[in-house]
This record gives sequence, structure tokens and C-alpha cells, in this order.
Amino acid sequence: MPFTDQIIRYGSLSVVGLGKNTGKTECLRYVMEKLNQRQKAIAVTSIGIDGEGVDRVTATPKPEIFLEKGMYFTTVASYYTSKRFKAEICEVLPYTTVLGKMVTARALEKGKMILAGPSDTSLLQKWVREMPQRYPIDVCLVDGAISRLSPASPAVTECMILAVGAAYSLNMRILAQKTRFVFDTIHLPLAGESLRSKLENITHGIRGITARGDITDPGVESALLPAQVREVLGKCGNRIYIPGAVSNALLKTLGEGKEAGSTELYIRDFSRIFAEPRVFYSFLDKGGRIFQLFSTRLLAVCVNPFSPQGYRMNSEELVNSIHKEVNVPVYDIKRMEG
Amino acid sequence: MNFARYCERIDGLSYLAGKMELTGSRVRRYLMQMPFSTDRDLLETHFDILQKAFEIISDQKTKPVLMQLEHLFSRVHDIQGTLVALKEKRILDEVELFEIKYFAALCSDAEKLCRQAGFSYENMYPLQEVFHILDPDNTGTVSFYLYDSYSKTLALVRRQVAEIDPDRDPTGWNQLQDIIQKEELAVREKLSLQLSALYPALQENFDRMARMEIWFAKAKLALLYNMVRPVTVPGDQSGVLSLDGMVNPAIADHLENAGGTFQPVSVTLCAEPCLLTGANMSGKTVVLKTLALIQALTQFSFFVPAQKASIPLVKDVFLVIGDKQDQYRGLSSFAAEMLDLDRIMANMNAGTKMLVLADEPARTTNPAEGAAILCALVEYLEKHSVMSLISTHYGDLGLSCRKLRVAGFQGNQVQGRLDPLRMNRYMNYSLIEDKGGSVPLEALNIARLLGVDGSFIDTAKKYLK
Repeated sequence: MPFTDQIIRYGSLSVVGLGKNTGKTECLRYVMEKLNQRQKAIAVTSIGIDGEGVDRVTATPKPEIFLEKGMYFTTVASYYTSKRFKAEICEVLPYTTVLGKMVTARALEKGKMILAGPSDTSLLQKWVREMPQRYPIDVCLVDGAISRLSPASPAVTECMILAVGAAYSLNMRILAQKTRFVFDTIHLPLAGESLRSKLENITHGIRGITARGDITDPGVESALLPAQVREVLGKCGNRIYIPGAVSNALLKTLGEGKEAGSTELYIRDFSRIFAEPRVFYSFLDKGGRIFQLFSTRLLAVCVNPFSPQGYRMNSEELVNSIHKEVNVPVYDIKRMEG
Repeated sequence: MNFARYCERIDGLSYLAGKMELTGSRVRRYLMQMPFSTDRDLLETHFDILQKAFEIISDQKTKPVLMQLEHLFSRVHDIQGTLVALKEKRILDEVELFEIKYFAALCSDAEKLCRQAGFSYENMYPLQEVFHILDPDNTGTVSFYLYDSYSKTLALVRRQVAEIDPDRDPTGWNQLQDIIQKEELAVREKLSLQLSALYPALQENFDRMARMEIWFAKAKLALLYNMVRPVTVPGDQSGVLSLDGMVNPAIADHLENAGGTFQPVSVTLCAEPCLLTGANMSGKTVVLKTLALIQALTQFSFFVPAQKASIPLVKDVFLVIGDKQDQYRGLSSFAAEMLDLDRIMANMNAGTKMLVLADEPARTTNPAEGAAILCALVEYLEKHSVMSLISTHYGDLGLSCRKLRVAGFQGNQVQGRLDPLRMNRYMNYSLIEDKGGSVPLEALNIARLLGVDGSFIDTAKKYLK
């Protein structure tokens, strides 16, 4: 497997999907198998609370995560106590989530269970940082949740794999386009070194950037409404930094502005973009530019040609059509396993 | 009454509680439940403990150990629910069993650290027995699972199930899993029962762990605000309360933020009423609030913000500020105040030893009746020898009780208009014994300095007899 070496080198990986049942879990299983063959110690968890045994949306069984002997994993206590394999509890985490206490344990034999780990990005970030300090772990793996890209933020994991599947759309063209969109947001250009160091510690509010590269504070907390965006532009000029979410309305207003062509938007990383592809590209087409402070390493795109309704796409065609759009390796996980 | 109730009554107390460095709601719960103590021996023992904690945190040499201890406090989980389960002999789940083992390990670490730091109070009960129960293989680690050595059946069936591929023989695999589940339940039941015998020691250690953290937090507070150990005055009614250089931390912090400083005040009180007079804005209310705070701190085993403190113990502290309105119960500020005074009367009649601090009682009604109410209050307090301080603007009441006066306002130093925030620069807050019966007439003077319309003040002067 070409990307196993990279995963080992970077030490933490998130697998995020474009939607539910896109083959994210199979992909994770595949990565774990490869790492296990290389005798790497693994810790795994999942973001969020989509941890039912059966997918509530499509009523298909939700795959449990397979754990090999020696793997560390973090999940809620109530799932842990109903496990059917031998594992030892190493730690009860000092915070609770909506599902209750969180437990970190080590598998003493192989088994499978549903993982529901820390539910917000900052706790997950802490988990990725602290696990290798506490336990002899080579790689931390994070299973992403339904259409949430946040665990793939470079603030959390060092690299990511994107899972794309027939469950997201049976239309191959739509699938390829959506994949292209995520790929494009990931590969937005990096901000210059000096701006990066000035901005990286600003995580709230909005800032303007002067022509000389000085940071100004317009005193506006958020730019969710078009009127707020225009107020910010009026105060700051055409270079603004938004550490929070980049909403559809925001990008739309920027793109519709008279000086859209000379507007520069600075964001933290690709996971902050919540705008529709149409709006995103329209802004760029007008000459607007978006820079990010932190870049994400997308190792590969994995495709799952099966939809939960039982439909199957042509694997090779799917791989090819996505590969045409993105400049990273594309694999059909099921075919590789076979 | 507990600490939480006193925090509601004395705002300076909740301010200090908020300044304490505690690791979470577990410890704060203990703090809020602390009882108001009237037992002198107990308080002296507590002050010995606090003194020791204070010495430890002030000593640079013990700093590394102290940091480890503080880190340990932050690792203690709130397992009160699990302890109750043990007490009620419920079956614990695996996670709860782990929590007990983990807590026992922290207890033995805490014991070691305390020994290194030289803190010999709140000793932990040894919980060796917990490790015998929860570490049957003597691994010495805190991690936990239902070990094979707990049950021969469990070990056997686990070996059998490992041989079966659940995908090929799901029925056989599930059958064995069911046996494992049943056996694991039996093991947990046995372990829970064994541990429930150790409930008293576990609960005691859990309580002590919180108390230990509170001692160190109290000591840090004492260091932060230059607090001293109060001397408690023995039993009888005739004790004298004496405070040298007392400070109100909440107000001192506020002044400091505004660029000012708090002028420490000294005061003594005996078992009799004392009137406190002084100009407006001369800090009478602050004196009352600080006295209430220091009395309460003493009896909740804190050091107190003063240079020297000698405190007779009381059963209760009454601070009647008179700005309390209870519109929901239809009470005006006057009515609420009268009901407070009535409660004090009832306690006096019952012979309760107390400290009464009243701020301008009956000021919100007509001066004739107001003065009469005040005189009656003083007479009552005198009759029952109640240690009390009552501020007032009423003069020439013809009362023979002791009187203190705030030295007062040095208005002649003021140039131009006076900023209320800078008032304290021109005020001497010291308390002096006052032999006369009159009160200072500085209200109009202060109003003028505050920049109130001059012709208005002249008009007021016309009415001055």
C-alpha cells in the first residue's frame, strides 16, 4: 500500500467521508490492517455520536470497527461495557460527553465494537496529542462522522483520506465534482510566512490586513449576515482574515462585491469552508483569492461503488472519473482487499 | 448553617470562594458544605493544619512536591456515585471497578507526596486490600479488566471462544459469549461485594482527598491576601474582638484595578453595642461587611485578611445592610429590615451568642420613629450583651453606649470637582473613639465637592437649623 509509509511518518490520520456509507469504515479497517502488518501500535477513535449499530438514516447495519490485539481505542463507557471481547481499561477520561463517560482501553484479543469518541474538535485534538504521550503508540486514527470534515483539519490530524461512495450520489459526475470541490479547498494556496505567524494565534472575530501586512481589528465578532460582511469590507478593505466558519452567505457577498476581483480572504484551513461549490468557484472565477494558514495532506481518495440500496457502480469507471478530477491516488478499497 | 448559606449572606465570602483554586465541582461541593464551627478546639486544630499547609506552599523547597500533589488532585475523578453504589451493595460495572482501583492508586500516591512535603494531616487509609481484589495477578498497573484468574470457568470459556470463528459458527460463538457474560456478571458481583466491605475507608479517603485540596487552596488564598491566623478567644461572654489593619479583599482588588489602595482599618468590639458614625462615603458599610467576613472566615477555618486578629466565637453572624427588598413577597426595604431585626431579637431572647452588624437601621422611615427604633435596638443589644456595631447618621440620641467615628473627610485638600472614585484619597478611614453625641455634618460639603448644583446646596443650607 503506497500510503502506509506516509501514515506512519505523519503519525495521525483521519478518514472522512463525503456522506454516510461512503466506505469510510472499510477504508479505516484497511488502513489498520496494513499498519498491523507493519507491527505498528495503533490508537483509534471516532468523532461524534453517530454510533448506532444500525444507521438511522438508511436502516442498514453500521459497521463496527475491527480491533486487533494490542490496539488502543477510546469510546463511551456504555458501549465499552457491552463489548464481547477481552480488553483492559487504561483510563477514564476527565471529561464526559452527551453519551457519558469516555474510556480508553487496550484490546487483549481481537474483537469489534462501535466507537464513539470525543465529540468536538478541541477534545479530539487533545486526544491525538496526548495518546502517544501516555501509551506506546505509533499512529492515531480518527474515524470521521457523517459529512463532517472537521477531524481532517490539520489542527487535529497530520493527514487524511477522503472516502467517496455511491451512497453520496449515484450520479458519477456529481460524485466526481463534489470530490473535486473538497480537493480544491484542501489545495488552496498557503498564506505567506509572515502573515501566517501574525494570524495563527487569532482564533476569534474578524481581522483586516493592510497593504503593508499589518493586522487591524474592525471590532466585528462575526460575518454571517451580508450587512456585516459589507461593514467589515468597508472598515478593513479587501484583505480579510476569518478564523471561524466561512459561510455560504459570506462568500456570496464577497463574490457579489464590486471589488470581488481584488478581494483576498484568509482562512485557517479547508475544514472551515461551509459554502456551496457554486458560490466558492464563482468567487474564484471573479478573481477573488482564498489563502489558508494551515495545509492538509490528502493522501488518497478511496471510493466505494456500493450504495446502501444495493446498487453497484462500475468500479473502474468510478475510479477513473474521480482520478481525472483530483491529483492524488484513487483506490477502490473493496477491490484492493479482494 | 453551611458555607453556601453564608456565601449568600456575605458577598465578600463568595468572592473569596471564587478566588480559591479548586480542581472542579467535586471539591467545590465539599467547600460549600463546610459547617460553621463554634468549637474552639476543632478550629485551633484546623488552624494548625492550615498553618502547616501555609508553610509548605511558602517553602521553595517543597514546590516540586506540591506541584505533583496539585496535579494529582486534578486527576481525581468524581466517583461519589460509584461509592454510593458500593454502600448500597449494587453490582459495579467494569468501568466503575477500574475507577475504584484508579482512585486507590491515587490515594497511595497522595500519601507518599504528603509525607515528602511534611503534611501529616488528612492521612489516607491504606487501601492495600483494594489492590488485592482488583489486581489479582500482581501486575502493579492501574489498568483493569476481568482477569482470567477470577474464575476458572471464565478462563476456560474464553479460551474456547478464541478457537471459534464467529463468522463460520455464529451460534456456537454466541452461546459461549453468553456463558462469558454470565460468568463475568458473577465475577463482578463477587468483587463488588468484597469491595463494599471497604466502602467506609474508600469514602473517607474520597472526603479527605477533597479536604486536603481545600486546605492547600485556603493556604494559597492566605498567601495571596496576606492573611493571618486568627487567635480564637476562649468561651465566656466577655471576649473582645480585636482586629488590627483589616482589609476587605473584594473591595481592595476593585480599588487596585482602579488604581487605588485599600486603607487597612483597626477596630475592637466588646460584648455590647457600639455605634459607628461618619460622613457619607466614609466606609462605614465596608467596616461592617469586613467584620462579618472576618468572623465568618474564622469560623469556617480560614485565615483572615488583617495584620492581627483576635476573635471570640459566636453561634451566628447577622449582617443587616438594609438594602434588601423583596418585591416578590411584597416587602419594602423597611419591612425586610424589620423582619431581619425581629429574627435578631428572637435569637437574643433565646440567648444565642452572636455578632450583629447593622448598617443604618431604620433609615428608610421618618427620622423621629427611625431614631426610636435605633435606640430600642441598642437597648436590647445592651441588655443581652450582644457584640454589635451599628452605623447611623442619627445624632444626639442620648445613648450612653460606646461610639466610634470614622476619622473622616479631609475636604480642604480637594481642589476642583471631586471624582467619586478618588474620594478615598481624601478620606481617613481610621476609627476613633467618640465621646460626644453629635454626628459629623458633612453631607452638604461632600455634595458640593461632587459638583452638585451650587444654588441647590445654598437652598438646602437655608433649611439647616
